[in-house]
Amino acid sequence: MAELHIIGQIVGASGFPQSSLFCKWGIHTGGAWRLLSGLKEGQTQVDLPQTGDMAYWSHPIDLHYTTKGLQGWPKLHLQVWHQDSFGRCQLYGYGYCHVPSSPGHHHIRCVTWRPLGSWQEQIAQTFVGGGPQLRSPDIIYSGADRYRLHTEAMGTVQLELGIIMRHFDRYGVES
Amino acid sequence: MASSSDLREKLRKKRRALQHSLQVKDDVDADTQALVPTQKEAGQTHIEVLTAGEEEPGDALRRNLKAQRQSRRRKLEQAPAGDASVMEAHYKTMVEVTAVQQISQKDEKAEELAVISSPTHSQRGDLPPRSRATPTPSSSHSESSTMRQRMRDKLRAARSKAESLLQQEASLEVPGSRLQSLRDRQPLTRFDQETDPDLKAGGDVNPSPLNPRVKFREAVRRVRMESKPETGLPTAEEAYNFFTFNFDPEHDKEAEKIQKGRTRREAEYEEGEEEEGEEEEGEEEEITEVDREPDGEDAERDDSAPLVREEEELFIVDKSAHDFLVVKRAEYMGYQQRLQSENDVLFTPSFLSVPASSKVPENMQPRYLEEEGLYVGERPPISLTNQNILENRILKQEQGRKWFGDDGRIMALPDPIKESSTRPPLFHMEDDVDPALQAIFRKALKSKHASQYIAVGGEMNGDYQLDVDVSGLIFSHHALFSREHVLGARLAQLYDQQLSRQHRNLTEHLNTKLNGLRNAVRNMLEMHAGHGLTPIMQQRICEYKQELRNTRRLRDAEQDKDRSLLKSIIKVWKEIKALRDFQRFTNTPYKLYLRREDVERASDERRYEAEIQAEVDELQGEMEEDYQRKLTEYKRQQEEWKTWRRRQKAKKKKTKKKKTQSQDDADEDDDEDDLSDGVAELGPSKPDPPEEPDMEGVEEQVREKASRIRRKPGEPILVPELTASGPITSNEQCPRGEVARREDVTKRSLFTKVLYNDKEVSRTDNRSLNSDFRVHFGQIFNLKIVNWPESIKLQVFEVLGSSTTLLADVFVPVPDSSILTGSALSEELEFSSNLRVMFDHEAVGSDVPFSFEADGSNRQTLLTSGKLSCCVSWAVGEDNIPLAPPTTLPKAMYSGLKQLDAIACIGASSLNDMKKLGEWATESRLDPNDPNNSAIMQLLKVASSGVVTAPEYFRLEQLQEEFNFVKEENLEQSRRFRLLRLRNQEVADFRNYKFVPALEREVTDKVFQEYERRLREGVIVDTKDHLDAHRALVAKYLQKIRESIFNRFLVAKHNFILSDLVQEEEVPTIGILGLNLFKLAEPKRPLKPRRKERKKVTAQNLSDGDIRLLLNVIRAYNIPVRKPYANKPSVASKSSRSFTETFTAGQPSQRAIQGSDWILNQVQVRPFVEVSFQRTVLQTTTADGPNPCWNEDLQLPFSAPNGDYSTASLQSVKDEVFINIFDEFYYELGGEGEDRGREVHTRLEKHWLGSVKIPFSTIYFQSRIDGTFKVDTPQVLLGYSKERSLSSDGGYDTMRSLNEGAFITLFITIEPQLVPGEPIREKFESQESERLLQVSEAFERDAATRYPDRPCLTTVIDINGKTVFITRYIRPLKPPQELLDAFPNNPQEATELIARYVSLIPSLPDSVSFTGVCDLWSTCDQFLALLAGDEEEHAVLLCNYFLSLGMKAWLIIGTAIPEGPTAYVLTFEQNRYLIWNPSSGQCYGQYDTFCPLQTVGCLVSADNVWFNTQVYTSPPRICFDTTKAKLWKPFFSRAIPNPGLSSVQPEELAYRRTDQAAAAALQDRMEKILKDKIMEWRPRHPTRWNRYCTSTLRQFLPKLELSGGRDVADEHRLELQTLLGDYRISGFPLHLPFSEVRPIVEAVYSTGVHNVETSNVEFALAVRLKCR
Repeated sequence: MAELHIIGQIVGASGFPQSSLFCKWGIHTGGAWRLLSGLKEGQTQVDLPQTGDMAYWSHPIDLHYTTKGLQGWPKLHLQVWHQDSFGRCQLYGYGYCHVPSSPGHHHIRCVTWRPLGSWQEQIAQTFVGGGPQLRSPDIIYSGADRYRLHTEAMGTVQLELGIIMRHFDRYGVES
Repeated sequence: MASSSDLREKLRKKRRALQHSLQVKDDVDADTQALVPTQKEAGQTHIEVLTAGEEEPGDALRRNLKAQRQSRRRKLEQAPAGDASVMEAHYKTMVEVTAVQQISQKDEKAEELAVISSPTHSQRGDLPPRSRATPTPSSSHSESSTMRQRMRDKLRAARSKAESLLQQEASLEVPGSRLQSLRDRQPLTRFDQETDPDLKAGGDVNPSPLNPRVKFREAVRRVRMESKPETGLPTAEEAYNFFTFNFDPEHDKEAEKIQKGRTRREAEYEEGEEEEGEEEEGEEEEITEVDREPDGEDAERDDSAPLVREEEELFIVDKSAHDFLVVKRAEYMGYQQRLQSENDVLFTPSFLSVPASSKVPENMQPRYLEEEGLYVGERPPISLTNQNILENRILKQEQGRKWFGDDGRIMALPDPIKESSTRPPLFHMEDDVDPALQAIFRKALKSKHASQYIAVGGEMNGDYQLDVDVSGLIFSHHALFSREHVLGARLAQLYDQQLSRQHRNLTEHLNTKLNGLRNAVRNMLEMHAGHGLTPIMQQRICEYKQELRNTRRLRDAEQDKDRSLLKSIIKVWKEIKALRDFQRFTNTPYKLYLRREDVERASDERRYEAEIQAEVDELQGEMEEDYQRKLTEYKRQQEEWKTWRRRQKAKKKKTKKKKTQSQDDADEDDDEDDLSDGVAELGPSKPDPPEEPDMEGVEEQVREKASRIRRKPGEPILVPELTASGPITSNEQCPRGEVARREDVTKRSLFTKVLYNDKEVSRTDNRSLNSDFRVHFGQIFNLKIVNWPESIKLQVFEVLGSSTTLLADVFVPVPDSSILTGSALSEELEFSSNLRVMFDHEAVGSDVPFSFEADGSNRQTLLTSGKLSCCVSWAVGEDNIPLAPPTTLPKAMYSGLKQLDAIACIGASSLNDMKKLGEWATESRLDPNDPNNSAIMQLLKVASSGVVTAPEYFRLEQLQEEFNFVKEENLEQSRRFRLLRLRNQEVADFRNYKFVPALEREVTDKVFQEYERRLREGVIVDTKDHLDAHRALVAKYLQKIRESIFNRFLVAKHNFILSDLVQEEEVPTIGILGLNLFKLAEPKRPLKPRRKERKKVTAQNLSDGDIRLLLNVIRAYNIPVRKPYANKPSVASKSSRSFTETFTAGQPSQRAIQGSDWILNQVQVRPFVEVSFQRTVLQTTTADGPNPCWNEDLQLPFSAPNGDYSTASLQSVKDEVFINIFDEFYYELGGEGEDRGREVHTRLEKHWLGSVKIPFSTIYFQSRIDGTFKVDTPQVLLGYSKERSLSSDGGYDTMRSLNEGAFITLFITIEPQLVPGEPIREKFESQESERLLQVSEAFERDAATRYPDRPCLTTVIDINGKTVFITRYIRPLKPPQELLDAFPNNPQEATELIARYVSLIPSLPDSVSFTGVCDLWSTCDQFLALLAGDEEEHAVLLCNYFLSLGMKAWLIIGTAIPEGPTAYVLTFEQNRYLIWNPSSGQCYGQYDTFCPLQTVGCLVSADNVWFNTQVYTSPPRICFDTTKAKLWKPFFSRAIPNPGLSSVQPEELAYRRTDQAAAAALQDRMEKILKDKIMEWRPRHPTRWNRYCTSTLRQFLPKLELSGGRDVADEHRLELQTLLGDYRISGFPLHLPFSEVRPIVEAVYSTGVHNVETSNVEFALAVRLKCR
C-alpha cells in the first residue's frame, strides 16, 4: 500500500503590495487518498516583517497519506490574507500548486492571483479594505470557469516540501 | 627507536635523582611541619615505594599513587579511630590525588607539573588544606612556602630535563645538540619555522614537524604500552587521543602561551613585590626577571638554569603582530592636488567657439556655398555650446579637419524630418466606406482543438508523419457515362462480386462443413449403436442436428446467390450486346467469356442424387422428430384435459347429488352438460392431434429446390471471365451525340485535395478523365503532424475548363499506429455525389432518370459515384522507427475525441450494447479457447457478471476502480494504517504512541486487542475486576462520563491562545531590579532558610527521567513503641508506661523483671520511613525512639503513563505515594553448632507501623506539600503500644484519642516544578436566574481579587453539567435508622458513628476522573447510588446528616493538606466549634494544631454563603461567628435577599438493605485474592497459612468493628497469644473502605507483610466485609 509523506513548510510570501500577511492553506486530494496523520489544513500566523518585503511564516506541514491509486494526487491550495494596521483581514491572493510527485526536496513557488472587482469596488478597496472573494473556493483548483474572472496577479508564496514515497514502486510507479 | 631503551634508562636515572632530592626535601619538611608522627612514616613508605619503582615515569606514577593509597590505608588503620581530623585530611588528600591522577591521564603538558608534584602533596597530606592552597603573596614569605617554592623549582628542573630528553628522542638524528645553551639561540616563532632555511638546516631547534607535546605524549603512550604488554590493543583513552588530537601547531603556541603565563605568574610570585610587568616589553624583561632570582639558593642554581632556558624557548613566540604590522594613516589626496593630477590625465574640451582659421585648411578662406547661389539645406538645430565643444574635441583628433566643410563649419546634412505629415488625411464618413472594407469586431475565439496537441514525450519531439497515398479513382457512375457505360459498370460490378465470391467460395466451405457434420452424426450413432446413448451424447447429437439444419439453410442461400449472380451477369452481358447492336458502336472495352467446364455426367448425377437423398433423409428425420415431440405434447395436454374433466365431473356429481337425490336418470346428459359447463368456465381446451408429416412431399420439395438453386447434373460449370480487351469504336464512326460526349469527357479533369483535420494540406495534380472513367493519381503526400489526427479527408474535384466542382468528400479513417507505410494495403473507398448533371448529348447524366428501353419505360436514376483507392499509413523513419504517436496514449486520443467512456477506453469501443454482443457471441458459438476470442470472452464474462453494465450513471472519478493499486478492504485491513489513524484521532489507547513500526508485520494484532475489546464490551460489565456488579456498573458509568467530558476537553485543548504558544519573558522593571539588588545583600546562608519559588516548567518538553519527586522526611511524633514479648501467654508483661492497661499481670515473675530490664536496655522503637511510588521503593535511615528525626531527602523518579507529559495526562495520573513507617527489628539468632557464642547472626525484620497515602494528583496540583500529617495507623498493632499523653481528659473521648495518633512531617514537591493545568472555565447552562448568576459571578470575582488565596464557591456544576447554586445542596437528611438506634442516649457517639459511616464511603477524586475540567457535585442520593465521590460529596452528606440531628452545621470551603481545595464540615456544639474531616470521619477542635484544614474560604449553609474577610484564614485564628458582618461577608444580604432557593436534594434518602449473602461471598473472594497475592509476592519462599489463627482473627474482626477499634489492642494480643502459644506475632488490622480490589491489594502490599523471610513463618489473614 503506497504511502506518501509530505513534510515541509510554507516558507513565506513575497511580492505582495503589503507585507503583513498570513496564509490559509489546505490540501485537496482525490477520493482514493486517505489521510493517516497530520493536519491537512491550517492557517499561519501573521508575519509583519520589519525589514524586507518577504513575510516569513515557516509554517510546518507534515502529512502522511496512503492511497489506493494515483488519481487525485494531492494539491495544495493557498489563500494569502493581509492584516492591516486596524486588524482587518482582507484577501490578497489565491493560489494552488500540485504537490510534487517525485521524492526529494522541492522548492515550490506558488503564484497567486486575486479577483478584481468593478472599479467602484476597487476604489472602495483602496479606502476601506475588503475586496471581492470567491464564493466557492473550489474554483481555485478547478479552473474550468476561471477564465470568466478578472483577476490581478499578486505575489508568490514559497514552499519547501519534502516528499517521501513508499511502496509506490510495488504498483509500478517509478520514482 | 633502537636507542629508546637507552633513553628510558636515562630517564629513569633522572627520575631517581629527583626522588632523592624529594627525599631530602621531605626531611626538611618533616622537621618543620610534622604534626602526626605516623605521617612521617607514611611519607617514607611512600618514598620507598617510589624508589622501588624503577620503571617508566607513567608506570612509576601509577605505582606511586597506588602506594600512596596503600600507605594511607595503613595509616588509617594505625591512626586512632577517634581522630576525625586526620581522617578528614586524608580523605581530602585522597580526593586530590585521585583528581590529579585523572588529570595526569589527559597527558597535558601543563598538568604534568601537577602530576609530578603530587608526591609532595601526598607527603604533606596531613597538613591542613588551608596551608596547601595558599598561593597568595601574603604567605609567600612563610617558610613552608619557600620550601614549596624550592621544591617546585626542583621539580620544574627535573621536568625540563625530562622534556629535553624527550625532545632528544624526537631528534634522534641529531643527538647531543639538544643540550647546548638555548639562550644563545635566536628567538623562534611559528612563522620563522616555516621560512627560515637556516633554522631548518640547523635542525637543532625543532627538526621534526611534531611539536614536543606530541612527542611527549607519544613517549607516555609508548611507556604505557610497554607497561601493559599483555594488552596488545590500545586503551580506550589512547584511541580517544588518537582520534581527537589536533595536530595543528597553533595550539602548541597557545599552550606555550599558557605556560608562559604560568611561569610568569610564578616569577612574579617569587619576587613578591614585583609589579605587573609590561607585556609589550617582551621576553627580555622576563628573562632578566628570572635572572634576578635571589642568589642565596645556590644549590638550585644549576637546576634553575634549564628552567630559564626553557622559558626562553617558550618566549620565542612573543613576537606579536606589532612586529609585522605598521599603522598608517588613511591616505588622502587634497582637492587641489587631485584636480591637478586629473588635469594631467583628462582633456576637457573648451566650450568657447573655435576660430574659423583653425577649421579650414591653411591659407584658405572659408567659402560659403550659399553666397555662391547654391542651395544649402537647413541645418539641424544644435546648441552653440555643444557645437563648440564638439568642434574643439574633433580638432584635437587626428585628421580632425576633415569633418569640417569649406565654410569652416561641421559638415551636416539638412534635417530630413518633415514637420508635418505629407499624407492627405482621409475624410470620409463611416457609411461612405466600401462595405467590403468595413471591419467587424469579433471576439477572440477559442480554438476548437487547442488542447489536442500530441503530448510531446521524450526525444520524439512531435516527429510524426502520416503518408497519404492517393493512387487513383474509378467511377462506378459518372454524369458522362453513356448507357453502355452504365451497363458496363454494372457488369464490372457484378463480375467483381462474382470474383470475390469465388475467392471466398462460401458454398464449397459450407458444403464441406455439412458433410463433416453428417459424418460426425453418423459416426456417433454407429459407435453407440449397441448401447443406449448417454444424455450428453443425445444432447450433442441434438445440437449437431440443429447445426446441420442451420448450415444447410446457409448453404442453400449461398448456392441460390451464386446462381442468381451468374444469371444476372449473363443477363447484363446480353443487354450490353443488345445495346451495342442497337447503337452500332461500342463505347466500352468489356467482353465477357463464359468458360465451360465439362463434368462427368454419371458421377455428377450420383453425387446429386446422394445429396438429395441425404437431405431428404435428414428432413424426414427432423420432421419425424418434430412430430414425435408434438405428439407427446399433445398427449400431455390430453391427459391434463382429461383429469381436469374428471375432477369437474366429480364436482358436478356431488352438487347434483345434493340437489336431486332421486334424479338418477339421464346421467350421460348430465355428463354432457357438465362438460359443456366446464369448457365454458375455464380450463384447457381439448388439444388437437398433430398432423402426420408428409414424407412423400419432402422429396418433392427438395428436388424442386435443388433444381432451382443448383446446377443440373451433367450440366457444365460456367465460369464467367470479363476482359476489357474489346475494341472501342473510333470517333469517326460514332454519331454526333456520342462524339460530343466523348469530347466532353476529354475536357474534364480531376484532382483530389487532402484535408487533415479540416485543413487543406495539399492537392494532387489535375488528371484528365479517360474514356474508361478511371483516373490515376499515384501521389503520396507525407504529412508531418503536430495535432492528433482527427480526420483525414480527401475531396474529389472535377475541373471543367476553369470551374471546379466538388464531387465528393471521402473520409479516410485514421490509421492505427501499427499500420506503417510499406505494409499497408490500399483501400477502396466509395463515394458518391448527389450533384444533378444533365447533358444534351449521349451522356446519361447524374441524378437524371433515363431508360435503356426504346419506349422509355423502366427508368432509372443514377448518381455519380465511384471508388477512390488510397492508403493512409504512418511513415517509417530512417532507422525503421515508426513515426507514429505512441500507442500508450490511447486515453489522450480518446479524450481528444471526447469519447470519455471507461469501456471505450478499455478497447471495446462502440460496443455499447452488451446484450447484443452477448447474443451474437452465443449464437456464433465462439470458441472460448481460441486466443483470438479471448478479449471478447473476457468482456462477455465481465458483462454477464453484471459488474460492468452500460453506464446509467455519471461517474465522478473515472477509471478509479480500474487503476486502483489496492482495494478498499486492503487499506482497511492494514494494521499499521489503523494504528496511525487511531493515533491521529487521539483515541485514548493510542494517543501517546510514539513510534509506529515501519513494517506491517511488526504491528501485532495484540495492539488492538484491548481497544477492540473495549469497543465490543462497551456495555458488558466485567465483574472480575470489580467483584461487585453494582460497583462495576458505577465504574462503567463514571468511565462513560469521563470519556464524554474528555472528548469535550480534547476539543477545547486544540484551541490555543497566544500564551500557550508564545512565551514572553517579562521585561524587568526598575522595581524588580531594585529587589534583585536587595537580594544581593541577603545573607548567603540565612539562619531560617525559606524555600524559594522555582521556575515552572511547561510539560511539553519533558521526557522520561526528567521529573523526580522530591520527598523530605523531616520527623515524626508519637510512633507506637514496642511492647516486650512474653514467651508464656499466662504471664503478661506489663508496660510501665502504658497508661490504659486493661488487665494486670497475675504474678510478677522473673519475666516481668526482665521486661522492665528490657525496657531500660532495649530501644523502644527503631522506626524508618519507606516511600514507595510507582514501584520504586526508597527508605530512610533508621532512627531511634518514638519521636524520630530523619530529615532526609528522597528522590523518586516519576514516569508518566505512556511517556506523555502533557498536562492532561499528568492530571490523570492515579498513582499514589505511599509513605510507610516501619520498625526495624533485629533478631539475634544463635550461631549454629560450634559457632554458638562466637558468631552472632542477626536477622532484620521490619514491622509496619502505619502509612500515609498522598495521591500524585494532589502533589501535582499543589506543586508542593508541606506539613504534618497524621499517620494512618491501624487500631491494633500487635506487639506495639501507643504512647498516650496524660493531658486530655475532656468531654470528648474521641478528641483525645485523635490527638494520640502518630504524626509525620513531610515536604513533598516535584522537580522541576510543573505547571498544573488551568481548569477550563467553561460556561455551563443553568436553571438559576440570570440575576443570581451575575451576582454570584461578581461575588466570586470580588473575592478572588481581594483574597486571591481563599477559595470561594457559590455555584457548582452538577453531574449533568449544569450550574447550580451551592446552597441548594444543603438540606437536612436523615441518616440510616440503625445508626441512630445504635446509641440512642449518646448523641456524641451517634455523631461519631455518622461521621464514620460517611467516611467509609469510598472516595474518588473528581480531578482524577475529570482531568482538570471541573469539579462535579453530585447530590446525596446520586452519591449514595454511585458509592463514590469527592470530598465535597462526603462533606455535603455529613453536613446534611448533622443538620437532621438538629445540630448547627456548615460546610467549610477551604484548603487542607494534603487534599488541597476541599470541603469540610463545621459544627457548633457545647459552645465549641468542631471541624470534621468528612473523608476520614475524624473531628478536630477549632484550636487543634494538627487539624489538616489550613484555610477557611467560606461557609455554606442551607440559606446563605459567607465569605471569610478576616485577616487570617487558619481555623485557630479566626472567629466562626457568621453574624459579624465585619468578619464574614454574606452572599445574601439585605440588598440581595435570598429568593428562597429550593434544594436539589431529595426529601429523604432511601437506604437499601445490602445482600448479606452476597457480601459474605465477596468477603470470601477477597480473602482468597489477597492470599493468592501474598503467595505471588513471595516467589522464593513457601507461604504457609495458619488456619487456626485465621479463624481466630475472623472472630476478632467484628469486635473491632463494633468497638470502633479502641481499647481492644491488648485484649486482642492477649487472646491471640493465648491461642497461639509460642508464636511470635506481629500484625495489624487494616480498615479500608471498599470500592475496588486493586487499592486494597496495594494497601496490603505497601505494608510489606510478605517480606518476612523467616524460614518458618506462618501467615494468617482474615477479611471481614461489613456492609450497611
